[in-house]
Amino acid sequence: MLRSLWAKRHAQKWLWFSLTLLLLVVAAPLVWVVLGAFKTNAEIFGNPFSLPQSWKLDNLIQAWELGNFKTYLWNSIFITAGAMILVLLSACPAGYALAQLNFRGSQWLFYFFLLGMAIPIQSIIIPIFLQMKSMNLINSLTGVVVVSAAFALPFSVFLMRNSFRDIPSEIREAAMMDGAEEWRAFVSIMLPMAKPGIVVLMVFTFMSVWNDFMLPLVLLISNSKFTLALGLYSFNSEQSTQYGLVFGGTLITMIPSIIVYLIFQRQFTSGMAAGMGK
Amino acid sequence: MSPKGSSCVNNVSRKWRKRFVVASFLSPALLLYVVFMIFPIGQAVRLSLYDWDGGSREMNFVGLDNYWLTLQDNVFIQALKHNVIWMVLDLILMVLPVLALAVMISRLDKGKLFFRAGFYLPAVLSLPVIGILWGKIYDPLIGPVNAILKAVGLEFLAFNWLGDPRTVLISLVLVGVWAFYGLYMILFLAGLQSIDQSLYESAEIDGAGPLRKFWSITVPALRNTMNVVISLVIIYGFKSFGLIWIMTLGGPYYTSEVLATYIYKAAFIANKISYGAAGSVILAIIVVLLTIVFNASREREG
Repeated sequence: MLRSLWAKRHAQKWLWFSLTLLLLVVAAPLVWVVLGAFKTNAEIFGNPFSLPQSWKLDNLIQAWELGNFKTYLWNSIFITAGAMILVLLSACPAGYALAQLNFRGSQWLFYFFLLGMAIPIQSIIIPIFLQMKSMNLINSLTGVVVVSAAFALPFSVFLMRNSFRDIPSEIREAAMMDGAEEWRAFVSIMLPMAKPGIVVLMVFTFMSVWNDFMLPLVLLISNSKFTLALGLYSFNSEQSTQYGLVFGGTLITMIPSIIVYLIFQRQFTSGMAAGMGK
Repeated sequence: MSPKGSSCVNNVSRKWRKRFVVASFLSPALLLYVVFMIFPIGQAVRLSLYDWDGGSREMNFVGLDNYWLTLQDNVFIQALKHNVIWMVLDLILMVLPVLALAVMISRLDKGKLFFRAGFYLPAVLSLPVIGILWGKIYDPLIGPVNAILKAVGLEFLAFNWLGDPRTVLISLVLVGVWAFYGLYMILFLAGLQSIDQSLYESAEIDGAGPLRKFWSITVPALRNTMNVVISLVIIYGFKSFGLIWIMTLGGPYYTSEVLATYIYKAAFIANKISYGAAGSVILAIIVVLLTIVFNASREREG
Protein backbone atom coordinates (compact mmCIF):
# COMPACT_ATOMS: atom_id res chain seq x y z
CA MET A 1 0.00 0.00 0.00
CA LEU A 2 2.72 2.36 1.06
CA ARG A 3 4.71 1.31 -1.94
CA SER A 4 1.89 2.06 -4.40
CA LEU A 5 1.37 5.44 -2.76
CA TRP A 6 5.04 6.17 -3.26
CA ALA A 7 4.82 5.04 -6.90
CA LYS A 8 1.86 7.30 -7.40
CA ARG A 9 3.66 10.33 -6.01
CA HIS A 10 6.60 9.47 -8.18
CA ALA A 11 4.33 9.30 -11.24
CA GLN A 12 2.84 12.69 -10.37
CA LYS A 13 6.32 14.19 -10.20
CA TRP A 14 7.15 12.78 -13.61
CA LEU A 15 3.91 14.14 -15.04
CA TRP A 16 4.64 17.57 -13.64
CA PHE A 17 8.16 17.51 -14.94
CA SER A 18 7.29 16.45 -18.48
CA LEU A 19 4.32 18.78 -18.76
CA THR A 20 6.39 21.71 -17.56
CA LEU A 21 9.09 20.90 -20.09
CA LEU A 22 6.52 20.64 -22.86
CA LEU A 23 4.85 23.88 -21.86
CA LEU A 24 8.22 25.63 -21.99
CA VAL A 25 8.73 24.38 -25.53
CA VAL A 26 5.26 25.52 -26.57
CA ALA A 27 5.64 28.90 -24.90
CA ALA A 28 9.18 29.52 -26.15
CA PRO A 29 8.06 31.35 -29.33
CA LEU A 30 6.01 33.75 -27.23
CA VAL A 31 8.91 34.41 -24.87
CA TRP A 32 11.14 34.96 -27.86
CA VAL A 33 8.85 37.61 -29.38
CA VAL A 34 8.59 39.40 -26.03
CA LEU A 35 12.38 39.48 -25.72
CA GLY A 36 12.68 40.60 -29.34
CA ALA A 37 10.40 43.54 -28.67
CA PHE A 38 13.03 44.97 -26.30
CA LYS A 39 16.03 44.40 -28.54
CA THR A 40 17.65 46.76 -31.01
CA ASN A 41 18.04 45.63 -34.60
CA ALA A 42 21.75 45.06 -33.98
CA GLU A 43 20.99 42.78 -31.03
CA ILE A 44 18.42 40.89 -33.08
CA PHE A 45 21.01 40.13 -35.72
CA GLY A 46 23.34 38.86 -33.02
CA ASN A 47 22.68 35.82 -30.90
CA PRO A 48 18.96 34.96 -31.13
CA PHE A 49 18.98 33.56 -27.59
CA SER A 50 20.51 36.54 -25.84
CA LEU A 51 18.54 38.67 -23.41
CA PRO A 52 17.97 42.32 -24.36
CA GLN A 53 20.67 44.62 -23.06
CA SER A 54 18.14 47.04 -21.64
CA TRP A 55 14.39 46.90 -21.09
CA LYS A 56 13.58 50.11 -22.90
CA LEU A 57 10.16 50.52 -24.46
CA ASP A 58 11.52 52.20 -27.61
CA ASN A 59 10.27 49.56 -30.03
CA LEU A 60 6.82 49.48 -28.50
CA ILE A 61 6.45 53.27 -28.46
CA GLN A 62 7.77 53.70 -31.97
CA ALA A 63 5.61 50.89 -33.35
CA TRP A 64 2.57 52.34 -31.58
CA GLU A 65 3.16 55.72 -33.21
CA LEU A 66 4.30 54.61 -36.65
CA GLY A 67 1.78 51.86 -36.98
CA ASN A 68 -1.47 53.57 -36.04
CA PHE A 69 -2.12 50.86 -33.47
CA LYS A 70 -4.40 53.13 -31.47
CA THR A 71 -6.75 53.38 -34.43
CA TYR A 72 -6.52 49.64 -35.06
CA LEU A 73 -7.38 48.95 -31.44
CA TRP A 74 -10.47 51.15 -31.57
CA ASN A 75 -11.60 49.62 -34.85
CA SER A 76 -11.21 46.14 -33.40
CA ILE A 77 -13.20 47.11 -30.33
CA PHE A 78 -15.93 48.71 -32.44
CA ILE A 79 -16.25 45.77 -34.83
CA THR A 80 -16.12 43.11 -32.13
CA ALA A 81 -18.57 44.88 -29.82
CA GLY A 82 -20.94 45.61 -32.69
CA ALA A 83 -20.90 42.01 -33.88
CA MET A 84 -21.41 40.73 -30.33
CA ILE A 85 -24.47 42.94 -29.87
CA LEU A 86 -25.90 41.96 -33.23
CA VAL A 87 -25.37 38.26 -32.54
CA LEU A 88 -26.94 38.60 -29.10
CA LEU A 89 -30.01 40.39 -30.46
CA SER A 90 -30.58 37.94 -33.29
CA ALA A 91 -29.37 34.54 -32.06
CA CYS A 92 -31.06 34.58 -28.63
CA PRO A 93 -34.63 35.12 -29.83
CA ALA A 94 -34.10 32.72 -32.73
CA GLY A 95 -32.67 30.01 -30.51
CA TYR A 96 -35.52 30.53 -28.10
CA ALA A 97 -38.15 30.25 -30.81
CA LEU A 98 -36.59 27.08 -32.18
CA ALA A 99 -36.35 25.48 -28.73
CA GLN A 100 -39.51 26.62 -26.97
CA LEU A 101 -42.18 27.86 -29.37
CA ASN A 102 -43.64 24.79 -30.96
CA PHE A 103 -44.47 25.83 -34.46
CA ARG A 104 -44.73 23.93 -37.69
CA GLY A 105 -41.45 23.57 -39.49
CA SER A 106 -39.28 24.46 -36.48
CA GLN A 107 -37.19 21.34 -36.97
CA TRP A 108 -36.78 22.11 -40.64
CA LEU A 109 -35.77 25.67 -39.88
CA PHE A 110 -33.23 24.45 -37.35
CA TYR A 111 -31.59 22.28 -40.00
CA PHE A 112 -31.64 25.24 -42.36
CA PHE A 113 -29.53 27.20 -39.85
CA LEU A 114 -27.25 24.20 -39.26
CA LEU A 115 -26.44 24.15 -42.95
CA GLY A 116 -24.63 27.45 -42.46
CA MET A 117 -22.12 25.81 -40.13
CA ALA A 118 -20.91 23.72 -43.04
CA ILE A 119 -20.51 26.61 -45.49
CA PRO A 120 -16.86 27.68 -45.68
CA ILE A 121 -16.44 31.45 -45.59
CA GLN A 122 -13.81 31.16 -48.31
CA SER A 123 -16.56 29.98 -50.63
CA ILE A 124 -18.77 33.03 -50.23
CA ILE A 125 -16.12 35.70 -49.86
CA ILE A 126 -16.35 36.74 -53.54
CA PRO A 127 -20.13 37.28 -53.59
CA ILE A 128 -19.89 38.97 -50.17
CA PHE A 129 -17.37 41.42 -51.58
CA LEU A 130 -19.56 42.20 -54.60
CA GLN A 131 -22.66 42.51 -52.45
CA MET A 132 -20.97 44.91 -50.03
CA LYS A 133 -19.70 46.90 -52.99
CA SER A 134 -23.21 47.31 -54.32
CA MET A 135 -24.41 48.31 -50.84
CA ASN A 136 -21.58 50.83 -50.54
CA LEU A 137 -20.21 49.04 -47.51
CA ILE A 138 -16.66 48.43 -48.70
CA ASN A 139 -14.11 50.01 -46.37
CA SER A 140 -16.82 50.44 -43.76
CA LEU A 141 -16.60 49.18 -40.18
CA THR A 142 -20.36 48.71 -40.13
CA GLY A 143 -20.09 46.43 -43.12
CA VAL A 144 -17.59 44.22 -41.30
CA VAL A 145 -19.82 44.20 -38.20
CA VAL A 146 -22.85 42.99 -40.12
CA VAL A 147 -21.06 40.30 -42.12
CA SER A 148 -19.09 39.07 -39.08
CA ALA A 149 -22.33 38.72 -37.14
CA ALA A 150 -23.92 36.83 -40.03
CA PHE A 151 -20.95 34.45 -40.25
CA ALA A 152 -21.13 33.76 -36.51
CA LEU A 153 -24.87 33.25 -36.64
CA PRO A 154 -25.36 29.57 -37.58
CA PHE A 155 -23.23 28.37 -34.70
CA SER A 156 -24.79 30.95 -32.36
CA VAL A 157 -28.34 29.89 -33.18
CA PHE A 158 -27.32 26.27 -32.67
CA LEU A 159 -25.77 27.10 -29.30
CA MET A 160 -28.72 29.17 -28.05
CA ARG A 161 -31.26 26.65 -29.25
CA ASN A 162 -29.46 24.01 -27.17
CA SER A 163 -29.27 26.32 -24.15
CA PHE A 164 -32.98 27.14 -24.29
CA ARG A 165 -33.88 23.50 -24.80
CA ASP A 166 -32.20 22.68 -21.49
CA ILE A 167 -34.74 24.90 -19.72
CA PRO A 168 -37.96 23.00 -18.84
CA SER A 169 -40.88 24.22 -20.93
CA GLU A 170 -43.08 24.30 -17.81
CA ILE A 171 -41.33 27.49 -16.75
CA ARG A 172 -42.40 29.27 -19.88
CA GLU A 173 -45.90 27.85 -19.60
CA ALA A 174 -46.19 29.05 -16.01
CA ALA A 175 -45.12 32.52 -17.05
CA MET A 176 -47.62 32.54 -19.89
CA MET A 177 -50.35 31.34 -17.53
CA ASP A 178 -49.77 34.43 -15.43
CA GLY A 179 -50.67 36.38 -18.53
CA ALA A 180 -47.21 37.42 -19.66
CA GLU A 181 -46.70 38.15 -23.32
CA GLU A 182 -44.27 35.92 -25.18
CA TRP A 183 -41.58 38.58 -25.48
CA ARG A 184 -41.91 39.55 -21.85
CA ALA A 185 -41.63 35.92 -20.72
CA PHE A 186 -38.56 35.63 -22.92
CA VAL A 187 -36.80 38.77 -21.73
CA SER A 188 -37.55 38.68 -18.04
CA ILE A 189 -37.68 34.96 -17.26
CA MET A 190 -36.11 32.77 -19.91
CA LEU A 191 -33.18 34.94 -20.96
CA PRO A 192 -31.70 35.20 -17.44
CA MET A 193 -31.93 31.42 -17.13
CA ALA A 194 -29.90 30.94 -20.29
CA LYS A 195 -27.02 33.00 -18.92
CA PRO A 196 -24.36 30.26 -19.05
CA GLY A 197 -25.10 29.71 -22.72
CA ILE A 198 -25.02 33.44 -23.39
CA VAL A 199 -21.59 33.76 -21.77
CA VAL A 200 -20.29 31.00 -24.05
CA LEU A 201 -21.91 32.74 -27.02
CA MET A 202 -20.20 36.02 -26.21
CA VAL A 203 -16.78 34.43 -25.67
CA PHE A 204 -17.09 32.52 -28.93
CA THR A 205 -18.18 35.59 -30.88
CA PHE A 206 -15.44 37.70 -29.36
CA MET A 207 -12.79 35.16 -30.31
CA SER A 208 -13.90 34.65 -33.86
CA VAL A 209 -14.48 38.33 -34.68
CA TRP A 210 -11.52 39.83 -32.80
CA ASN A 211 -9.08 37.41 -34.43
CA ASP A 212 -10.66 37.35 -37.89
CA PHE A 213 -8.27 38.07 -40.71
CA MET A 214 -9.87 37.18 -44.03
CA LEU A 215 -13.01 39.29 -43.84
CA PRO A 216 -11.24 42.53 -42.84
CA LEU A 217 -8.60 41.79 -45.48
CA VAL A 218 -11.27 41.66 -48.17
CA LEU A 219 -13.62 44.39 -46.97
CA LEU A 220 -11.31 47.06 -45.52
CA ILE A 221 -9.08 49.14 -47.76
CA SER A 222 -7.66 52.17 -45.99
CA ASN A 223 -5.26 51.95 -43.10
CA SER A 224 -7.49 54.06 -40.85
CA LYS A 225 -10.16 51.32 -40.95
CA PHE A 226 -7.91 48.35 -40.18
CA THR A 227 -8.43 46.06 -37.22
CA LEU A 228 -5.54 45.06 -34.96
CA ALA A 229 -5.02 41.77 -36.79
CA LEU A 230 -5.10 43.36 -40.23
CA GLY A 231 -3.12 46.38 -39.03
CA LEU A 232 -0.31 44.19 -37.74
CA TYR A 233 -0.26 42.37 -41.07
CA SER A 234 0.16 45.62 -43.00
CA PHE A 235 2.65 47.00 -40.45
CA ASN A 236 4.76 43.89 -40.97
CA SER A 237 4.83 44.35 -44.73
CA GLU A 238 5.76 48.03 -44.41
CA GLN A 239 8.47 47.57 -41.80
CA SER A 240 9.65 44.10 -42.75
CA THR A 241 13.33 44.92 -42.25
CA GLN A 242 12.80 46.72 -38.93
CA TYR A 243 12.69 43.55 -36.91
CA GLY A 244 12.56 45.29 -33.54
CA LEU A 245 9.54 47.35 -34.58
CA VAL A 246 7.74 44.28 -35.94
CA PHE A 247 8.33 42.46 -32.66
CA GLY A 248 7.01 45.51 -30.84
CA GLY A 249 3.89 45.63 -33.00
CA THR A 250 3.34 41.92 -32.54
CA LEU A 251 3.59 42.28 -28.77
CA ILE A 252 1.13 45.20 -28.84
CA THR A 253 -1.33 43.11 -30.83
CA MET A 254 -0.96 40.12 -28.51
CA ILE A 255 -1.60 41.99 -25.28
CA PRO A 256 -5.37 42.63 -25.55
CA SER A 257 -6.11 39.01 -26.56
CA ILE A 258 -4.06 37.69 -23.65
CA ILE A 259 -5.66 40.06 -21.14
CA VAL A 260 -9.16 39.09 -22.22
CA TYR A 261 -8.14 35.45 -22.15
CA LEU A 262 -6.73 35.66 -18.64
CA ILE A 263 -9.89 37.34 -17.36
CA PHE A 264 -12.32 34.92 -19.01
CA GLN A 265 -10.02 31.91 -19.01
CA ARG A 266 -12.52 29.45 -17.62
CA GLN A 267 -15.31 30.59 -19.94
CA PHE A 268 -12.95 30.28 -22.89
CA THR A 269 -12.00 26.70 -22.29
CA SER A 270 -15.32 25.36 -21.07
CA GLY A 271 -17.16 27.39 -23.66
CA MET A 272 -15.19 26.08 -26.59
CA ALA A 273 -15.72 22.51 -25.40
CA ALA A 274 -19.44 22.99 -24.88
CA GLY A 275 -19.80 24.69 -28.21
CA MET A 276 -17.89 22.32 -30.41
CA GLY A 277 -18.47 19.06 -28.61
CA LYS A 278 -22.24 18.90 -28.51
CA MET B 1 -72.90 36.48 -33.15
CA SER B 2 -73.23 32.92 -31.90
CA PRO B 3 -70.74 31.71 -29.30
CA LYS B 4 -69.43 29.15 -31.76
CA GLY B 5 -68.66 31.77 -34.42
CA SER B 6 -66.83 34.07 -32.06
CA SER B 7 -64.55 31.28 -30.85
CA CYS B 8 -63.77 30.44 -34.44
CA VAL B 9 -62.79 34.03 -35.20
CA ASN B 10 -60.80 34.01 -32.00
CA ASN B 11 -58.98 30.87 -33.07
CA VAL B 12 -58.04 32.30 -36.42
CA SER B 13 -56.77 35.53 -34.93
CA ARG B 14 -54.88 33.62 -32.25
CA LYS B 15 -53.25 31.52 -34.91
CA TRP B 16 -52.12 34.62 -36.78
CA ARG B 17 -51.02 36.19 -33.55
CA LYS B 18 -48.85 33.22 -32.79
CA ARG B 19 -47.39 33.28 -36.28
CA PHE B 20 -46.63 36.93 -35.85
CA VAL B 21 -44.91 36.32 -32.50
CA VAL B 22 -42.83 33.45 -33.92
CA ALA B 23 -41.83 35.58 -36.87
CA SER B 24 -40.80 38.44 -34.62
CA PHE B 25 -38.43 36.11 -32.77
CA LEU B 26 -36.93 34.61 -35.88
CA SER B 27 -36.76 37.42 -38.39
CA PRO B 28 -33.56 39.22 -37.29
CA ALA B 29 -31.52 36.01 -37.45
CA LEU B 30 -33.17 34.82 -40.64
CA LEU B 31 -32.61 38.15 -42.33
CA LEU B 32 -28.89 38.25 -41.51
CA TYR B 33 -28.43 34.61 -42.36
CA VAL B 34 -30.25 34.64 -45.67
CA VAL B 35 -28.81 37.94 -46.92
CA PHE B 36 -25.18 37.27 -45.97
CA MET B 37 -24.85 33.50 -46.21
CA ILE B 38 -27.55 31.80 -48.24
CA PHE B 39 -27.87 34.41 -50.94
CA PRO B 40 -24.07 34.59 -51.48
CA ILE B 41 -23.93 30.82 -51.94
CA GLY B 42 -26.44 31.15 -54.76
CA GLN B 43 -24.46 34.08 -56.14
CA ALA B 44 -21.24 32.05 -56.10
CA VAL B 45 -22.93 29.34 -58.15
CA ARG B 46 -24.39 31.90 -60.55
CA LEU B 47 -21.11 33.76 -61.02
CA SER B 48 -19.28 30.52 -61.70
CA LEU B 49 -21.47 29.94 -64.75
CA TYR B 50 -20.51 33.22 -66.42
CA ASP B 51 -17.39 34.73 -67.85
CA TRP B 52 -16.94 37.96 -65.94
CA ASP B 53 -13.98 40.03 -64.74
CA GLY B 54 -15.88 41.86 -62.00
CA GLY B 55 -15.98 45.23 -63.72
CA SER B 56 -17.37 45.04 -67.23
CA ARG B 57 -21.06 45.30 -68.03
CA GLU B 58 -21.09 42.20 -70.09
CA MET B 59 -21.57 38.82 -68.54
CA ASN B 60 -21.41 35.90 -70.93
CA PHE B 61 -23.05 32.69 -69.90
CA VAL B 62 -20.50 29.92 -70.37
CA GLY B 63 -22.10 27.01 -68.53
CA LEU B 64 -19.62 24.74 -66.81
CA ASP B 65 -16.59 26.03 -68.75
CA ASN B 66 -15.04 27.65 -65.67
CA TYR B 67 -15.18 24.33 -63.87
CA TRP B 68 -13.43 22.52 -66.72
CA LEU B 69 -10.79 25.22 -66.88
CA THR B 70 -10.27 25.13 -63.13
CA LEU B 71 -9.97 21.37 -63.02
CA GLN B 72 -7.43 21.47 -65.84
CA ASP B 73 -5.39 24.17 -64.15
CA ASN B 74 -2.24 22.61 -62.79
CA VAL B 75 -2.02 25.17 -59.99
CA PHE B 76 -5.54 24.33 -58.84
CA ILE B 77 -4.74 20.62 -58.75
CA GLN B 78 -1.52 21.38 -56.86
CA ALA B 79 -3.51 23.47 -54.39
CA LEU B 80 -6.00 20.67 -53.85
CA LYS B 81 -3.12 18.27 -53.31
CA HIS B 82 -1.59 20.59 -50.72
CA ASN B 83 -4.91 20.73 -48.88
CA VAL B 84 -4.96 16.94 -48.74
CA ILE B 85 -1.33 16.79 -47.54
CA TRP B 86 -2.11 19.46 -44.95
CA MET B 87 -5.09 17.44 -43.73
CA VAL B 88 -3.17 14.14 -43.52
CA LEU B 89 -0.25 15.72 -41.65
CA ASP B 90 -2.69 17.42 -39.28
CA LEU B 91 -4.39 14.10 -38.59
CA ILE B 92 -1.04 12.49 -37.78
CA LEU B 93 0.30 15.38 -35.71
CA MET B 94 -2.82 16.50 -33.92
CA VAL B 95 -5.08 13.60 -33.03
CA LEU B 96 -3.10 11.08 -30.97
CA PRO B 97 -0.32 13.41 -29.72
CA VAL B 98 -2.86 15.95 -28.49
CA LEU B 99 -4.92 13.19 -26.93
CA ALA B 100 -1.78 12.02 -25.10
CA LEU B 101 -1.24 15.57 -23.86
CA ALA B 102 -4.84 15.78 -22.65
CA VAL B 103 -4.53 12.43 -20.86
CA MET B 104 -1.38 13.64 -19.12
CA ILE B 105 -3.09 16.82 -17.95
CA SER B 106 -6.17 14.95 -16.80
CA ARG B 107 -4.04 12.61 -14.64
CA LEU B 108 -2.63 15.46 -12.57
CA ASP B 109 -3.71 15.68 -8.95
CA LYS B 110 -2.87 19.35 -8.77
CA GLY B 111 -2.34 22.05 -11.38
CA LYS B 112 -4.80 20.82 -13.99
CA LEU B 113 -6.24 24.28 -14.54
CA PHE B 114 -2.81 25.86 -14.80
CA PHE B 115 -1.61 23.52 -17.51
CA ARG B 116 -4.91 23.62 -19.37
CA ALA B 117 -4.75 27.41 -19.46
CA GLY B 118 -1.08 27.47 -20.40
CA PHE B 119 -1.33 25.02 -23.23
CA TYR B 120 -4.40 26.78 -24.62
CA LEU B 121 -2.60 30.13 -24.85
CA PRO B 122 -1.46 29.92 -28.52
CA ALA B 123 -5.05 29.29 -29.58
CA VAL B 124 -6.19 32.74 -28.42
CA LEU B 125 -3.76 34.64 -30.65
CA SER B 126 -4.80 35.99 -34.03
CA LEU B 127 -3.34 34.47 -37.17
CA PRO B 128 -1.27 37.56 -38.10
CA VAL B 129 0.41 37.40 -34.69
CA ILE B 130 1.15 33.71 -35.13
CA GLY B 131 2.18 34.00 -38.77
CA ILE B 132 4.54 36.93 -38.22
CA LEU B 133 6.01 35.43 -35.07
CA TRP B 134 6.77 32.12 -36.78
CA GLY B 135 7.94 33.85 -39.92
CA LYS B 136 10.68 35.39 -37.78
CA ILE B 137 11.44 32.07 -36.08
CA TYR B 138 12.01 30.44 -39.48
CA ASP B 139 13.90 33.48 -40.76
CA PRO B 140 17.32 32.32 -42.05
CA LEU B 141 18.98 35.56 -40.90
CA ILE B 142 17.69 36.07 -37.38
CA GLY B 143 15.67 32.97 -36.58
CA PRO B 144 16.55 30.59 -33.77
CA VAL B 145 15.68 27.45 -35.77
CA ASN B 146 18.74 27.64 -38.00
CA ALA B 147 20.86 28.99 -35.15
CA ILE B 148 20.07 25.85 -33.15
CA LEU B 149 20.77 23.58 -36.13
CA LYS B 150 24.12 25.27 -36.71
CA ALA B 151 25.01 25.09 -33.04
CA VAL B 152 24.51 21.32 -32.93
CA GLY B 153 26.40 20.74 -36.16
CA LEU B 154 23.42 20.10 -38.42
CA GLU B 155 24.26 22.98 -40.70
CA PHE B 156 23.18 21.04 -43.78
CA LEU B 157 19.61 21.09 -42.38
CA ALA B 158 19.55 24.88 -42.08
CA PHE B 159 17.04 25.50 -44.85
CA ASN B 160 15.40 28.70 -45.85
CA TRP B 161 12.31 27.07 -44.40
CA LEU B 162 9.60 29.23 -45.94
CA GLY B 163 11.48 30.02 -49.13
CA ASP B 164 12.42 26.50 -50.12
CA PRO B 165 9.83 24.47 -52.07
CA ARG B 166 10.97 21.32 -50.26
CA THR B 167 10.28 22.59 -46.75
CA VAL B 168 7.62 25.28 -47.05
CA LEU B 169 4.53 23.11 -46.66
CA ILE B 170 5.70 21.12 -43.66
CA SER B 171 6.93 24.32 -42.00
CA LEU B 172 3.48 25.86 -42.42
CA VAL B 173 1.75 22.72 -41.16
CA LEU B 174 3.82 22.83 -37.97
CA VAL B 175 2.79 26.43 -37.36
CA GLY B 176 -0.83 25.40 -37.92
CA VAL B 177 -0.44 22.66 -35.32
CA TRP B 178 0.92 25.17 -32.81
CA ALA B 179 -1.92 27.55 -33.58
CA PHE B 180 -4.82 25.12 -33.39
CA TYR B 181 -3.99 22.15 -31.16
CA GLY B 182 -5.41 23.99 -28.12
CA LEU B 183 -8.97 23.61 -29.32
CA TYR B 184 -8.59 19.85 -29.75
CA MET B 185 -6.90 19.55 -26.37
CA ILE B 186 -9.90 21.23 -24.76
CA LEU B 187 -12.30 18.90 -26.55
CA PHE B 188 -10.32 15.84 -25.43
CA LEU B 189 -10.14 17.13 -21.85
CA ALA B 190 -13.92 17.58 -21.81
CA GLY B 191 -14.34 14.06 -23.15
CA LEU B 192 -11.92 12.59 -20.62
CA GLN B 193 -13.79 14.26 -17.80
CA SER B 194 -16.91 12.31 -18.62
CA ILE B 195 -15.25 8.87 -18.35
CA ASP B 196 -16.31 6.87 -15.33
CA GLN B 197 -13.23 6.69 -13.07
CA SER B 198 -14.28 3.36 -11.55
CA LEU B 199 -13.45 1.71 -14.89
CA TYR B 200 -9.80 2.57 -14.35
CA GLU B 201 -9.85 1.41 -10.76
CA SER B 202 -11.22 -2.00 -11.62
CA ALA B 203 -8.75 -2.32 -14.49
CA GLU B 204 -5.94 -1.54 -12.07
CA ILE B 205 -7.15 -4.31 -9.78
CA ASP B 206 -6.98 -6.63 -12.78
CA GLY B 207 -3.38 -5.55 -13.22
CA ALA B 208 -3.71 -3.49 -16.40
CA GLY B 209 -0.82 -1.17 -17.20
CA PRO B 210 -1.15 2.43 -18.39
CA LEU B 211 -0.96 1.57 -22.11
CA ARG B 212 -3.50 -1.18 -21.75
CA LYS B 213 -5.86 1.15 -19.88
CA PHE B 214 -5.40 3.79 -22.55
CA TRP B 215 -6.29 1.47 -25.46
CA SER B 216 -9.07 -0.51 -23.79
CA ILE B 217 -10.79 2.21 -21.74
CA THR B 218 -9.82 5.72 -22.80
CA VAL B 219 -9.88 5.37 -26.58
CA PRO B 220 -13.25 3.57 -26.83
CA ALA B 221 -14.86 5.94 -24.33
CA LEU B 222 -13.69 8.91 -26.36
CA ARG B 223 -15.15 7.69 -29.62
CA ASN B 224 -17.55 10.58 -29.94
CA THR B 225 -14.96 13.20 -29.11
CA MET B 226 -12.55 11.53 -31.48
CA ASN B 227 -15.12 11.75 -34.23
CA VAL B 228 -15.67 15.47 -33.63
CA VAL B 229 -11.93 16.16 -33.52
CA ILE B 230 -11.17 14.20 -36.68
CA SER B 231 -13.97 15.84 -38.61
CA LEU B 232 -12.85 19.31 -37.48
CA VAL B 233 -9.23 18.58 -38.42
CA ILE B 234 -10.27 17.39 -41.87
CA ILE B 235 -12.61 20.29 -42.54
CA TYR B 236 -10.11 22.89 -41.30
CA GLY B 237 -7.56 21.23 -43.57
CA PHE B 238 -9.59 22.40 -46.52
CA LYS B 239 -10.34 25.84 -45.14
CA SER B 240 -6.84 27.01 -44.21
CA PHE B 241 -6.06 30.45 -45.54
CA GLY B 242 -4.81 33.01 -43.03
CA LEU B 243 -1.48 31.51 -41.97
CA ILE B 244 -0.50 30.68 -45.52
CA TRP B 245 -1.48 34.08 -46.85
CA ILE B 246 0.45 35.85 -44.12
CA MET B 247 3.58 33.71 -44.27
CA THR B 248 4.08 32.75 -47.93
CA LEU B 249 1.19 34.02 -50.12
CA GLY B 250 1.07 30.47 -51.47
CA GLY B 251 4.65 30.60 -52.69
CA PRO B 252 7.38 29.97 -53.59
CA TYR B 253 6.21 28.91 -57.05
CA TYR B 254 2.78 27.82 -55.78
CA THR B 255 4.39 25.17 -53.53
CA SER B 256 2.20 26.22 -50.60
CA GLU B 257 -0.85 27.19 -52.62
CA VAL B 258 -4.14 25.87 -51.21
CA LEU B 259 -7.72 26.20 -52.44
CA ALA B 260 -8.48 29.29 -50.39
CA THR B 261 -5.38 31.20 -51.53
CA TYR B 262 -6.10 30.12 -55.10
CA ILE B 263 -9.63 31.49 -54.88
CA TYR B 264 -8.47 34.72 -53.30
CA LYS B 265 -5.82 35.30 -55.96
CA ALA B 266 -8.17 34.52 -58.83
CA ALA B 267 -10.85 36.89 -57.58
CA PHE B 268 -9.01 39.77 -55.95
CA ILE B 269 -5.67 39.88 -57.72
CA ALA B 270 -6.20 38.44 -61.21
CA ASN B 271 -9.76 39.85 -61.57
CA LYS B 272 -11.02 36.50 -62.73
CA ILE B 273 -14.15 36.63 -60.61
CA SER B 274 -16.03 33.83 -62.31
CA TYR B 275 -13.01 31.60 -62.29
CA GLY B 276 -12.57 32.15 -58.55
CA ALA B 277 -16.27 31.51 -58.06
CA ALA B 278 -15.93 28.10 -59.68
CA GLY B 279 -13.10 27.30 -57.26
CA SER B 280 -15.29 28.51 -54.37
CA VAL B 281 -18.10 26.22 -55.36
CA ILE B 282 -15.76 23.24 -55.62
CA LEU B 283 -14.40 24.04 -52.15
CA ALA B 284 -17.93 24.37 -50.75
CA ILE B 285 -18.96 21.04 -52.24
CA ILE B 286 -15.92 19.28 -50.72
CA VAL B 287 -16.48 20.77 -47.27
CA VAL B 288 -20.25 20.28 -47.20
CA LEU B 289 -19.92 16.68 -48.37
CA LEU B 290 -17.30 15.93 -45.72
CA THR B 291 -19.50 17.51 -43.05
CA ILE B 292 -22.49 15.46 -44.10
CA VAL B 293 -20.48 12.23 -44.22
CA PHE B 294 -19.11 12.81 -40.74
CA ASN B 295 -22.44 13.75 -39.23
CA ALA B 296 -24.09 10.74 -40.80
CA SER B 297 -21.43 8.40 -39.44
CA ARG B 298 -21.70 9.98 -36.01
CA GLU B 299 -25.45 9.57 -36.00
CA ARG B 300 -25.17 5.95 -37.05
CA GLU B 301 -22.71 5.21 -34.27
CA GLY B 302 -24.31 7.35 -31.58
